[in-house]
Amino acid sequence: MVRTTVVGNYPRIGDTFDEQSLRRAIARFDKGEISAAELGDAEREVVKAVLREQNDGGINLVTDGQISWYDSQSHIARRLASVEINGLARYFDTNTYYRQPVVHGAIAWKEPILVDEWKFAQANSKAAVKAVLTGPLTLASLALDKHYRKKKPLAVDLANALGEEVSGLVRAGAAHIQIDEPILTRHPEDLPLAVEGLERIRARKGAAALTLFTYFGEVSKIFEELIETPVDAIGLDLVQGAATWSAIAKHGSEKPLVLGLVDARNTKKEDPAEVAKKVLGLKDRINLKASFLSPSNGLEFLPRERAREKLRILSAAARKVGVAA
Amino acid sequence: MTGLLTTSVGSFPKPEYLQRARTKASKGELSEEGLRALEEKATAEWIHFQEEIGIDIPVDGEQYRGDMATYFAENIDGTEISGLVRSYGNRYYKKPIIVDELRRKGPISVDWFKFAQARTKRPVKGMITGPYTMMDWSFDEFYGSREEACLAFAKLLHEEALSLEAAGAKIVQVDEPALSTRFDELPLLVKAVGTVTKGLRAKTILHTCYGSYDEIFEFFNKLPVDQLDLEMSNSGLDLLDRFKREPLKKEIAFGVVDVHSHVVEPESLIRERIEKALTIFEPEKLYIDPDCGLKTRSVEEAQAKLRNMVAAARAVREAHRLT
Ligand SMILES: [Zn+2]
Repeated sequence: MVRTTVVGNYPRIGDTFDEQSLRRAIARFDKGEISAAELGDAEREVVKAVLREQNDGGINLVTDGQISWYDSQSHIARRLASVEINGLARYFDTNTYYRQPVVHGAIAWKEPILVDEWKFAQANSKAAVKAVLTGPLTLASLALDKHYRKKKPLAVDLANALGEEVSGLVRAGAAHIQIDEPILTRHPEDLPLAVEGLERIRARKGAAALTLFTYFGEVSKIFEELIETPVDAIGLDLVQGAATWSAIAKHGSEKPLVLGLVDARNTKKEDPAEVAKKVLGLKDRINLKASFLSPSNGLEFLPRERAREKLRILSAAARKVGVAA
Repeated sequence: MTGLLTTSVGSFPKPEYLQRARTKASKGELSEEGLRALEEKATAEWIHFQEEIGIDIPVDGEQYRGDMATYFAENIDGTEISGLVRSYGNRYYKKPIIVDELRRKGPISVDWFKFAQARTKRPVKGMITGPYTMMDWSFDEFYGSREEACLAFAKLLHEEALSLEAAGAKIVQVDEPALSTRFDELPLLVKAVGTVTKGLRAKTILHTCYGSYDEIFEFFNKLPVDQLDLEMSNSGLDLLDRFKREPLKKEIAFGVVDVHSHVVEPESLIRERIEKALTIFEPEKLYIDPDCGLKTRSVEEAQAKLRNMVAAARAVREAHRLT
């Protein structure tokens, strides 16, 4: 009745020796003891394990866990023309860091960024794998811009470059594309800029379903405009962004939603029955059948064992929604 | 007139023998007492080093801490320690989990303060991981409210501050690296830090770092401490102009060396930075220190940076005839 998905990243190591293979491999790579190809093999083993955990957890639409991403910004930006990667900067309010992209010329797509990663993941997953890209507005907002000196032209060029990547992903077979724009929770006034970017990406997505996801906060003030953006579904953080809940209840949505109801930033375990009850409260306001349940953001802020637990909570809640409806 | 006293933010790198010992201890191959003896050895060495180069206000160097939040949490009732989560790159850490009402088991850092203070006549800083940072860096399975969790930490950290003072600490520093995490919570931070420092006779300091100071600037004068300890060199000294327009009504500890860079700043560069700071702040209210804890540098890099810092401060003092 309602399907389940995740948002993007997933813990790449756990607390057992076996689950720390990638940490050891990176340390050995840094010392020059193994090659880049061997490190790639170690990453792909973890991708397989992460896909297994999501499949076992009963998740309907999965991701590769972004296992090879250094962070949400530099992994995409480093493959674009005119970008260099700089030192560490704080990533929102998460107490984690990203390497800051520095823009020193006109942005352009140069080579495939995510296509091989997506192909590998889909080949190793029973469930459909969603391709997740950091959105042009968020990339533009978190980068150090030494060229454009204005957010809009930078965001537009980034959107064109990401559009090219999306078209490559779709040609490779991706049927689900997600664009993450967490910056909208901090700068809702930039929504028109996000829309311009999404229009450009939409033009390249073919038959794939396009989702816009916002997290790390609420978007109640722009909710009505948000659900009119040129995408097929809207993902919402309803934990840190709990204030968006009343906007959904008030306005409803014709467009399918991804309801980020399970807290991806706290180890506390939700009761699936309570999650289901909340979802059922929206039964008459949204199309539950076309919608998804998800964590509030990527699961990487949790220890691996707790991330697995959150997957189980999600699918248990979805089953309860199905039984009740 | 005196001025430009030198100090440190808190952490120093652990010597290799201590790093190896910590790995062993985590595998159960070294006893708690065995590890403690090496932590004491390293602490004594750092105190000796600070005396030798002439740092005015030493720190214990935090040789006994892994992470600043988990170290405190391990000594507080009502907490557990989580599995590993990633900070960035290949760096992982464990976070506190609040599972019950928070209570201080007993003194947390007081023994280490005493150990360090017994080895020097100079005033050693007492060091507290601040209540807002403790809350922000913990998972909360108990309070369900950031404010409640933060104020619960504040209450027990106030007891810790009183114990430090009773043990002889003339200076108590509250570390709040998470200060600029959420601007809308700055009033909560002010309230919580105020709870910790309330009624203390010791001089109080608040350290923060990695901030976008722009949006928190107006809160600087509201922070309930006597001194602010700020990262200045890594923020390109941009803040100075703002301080010119909106004067700080407190003492300032002014970070003059970048703790994230392997490059050891030459004395001449540090002197320039101190001279710039002197155009804004009175020398007796201006303290000189690194941007943040030096623990991510090598022992050699950290010592070289501190040596140049002390030499630069001394040279500027002489040039301005400060004793
Ligand atoms: Zn710091």
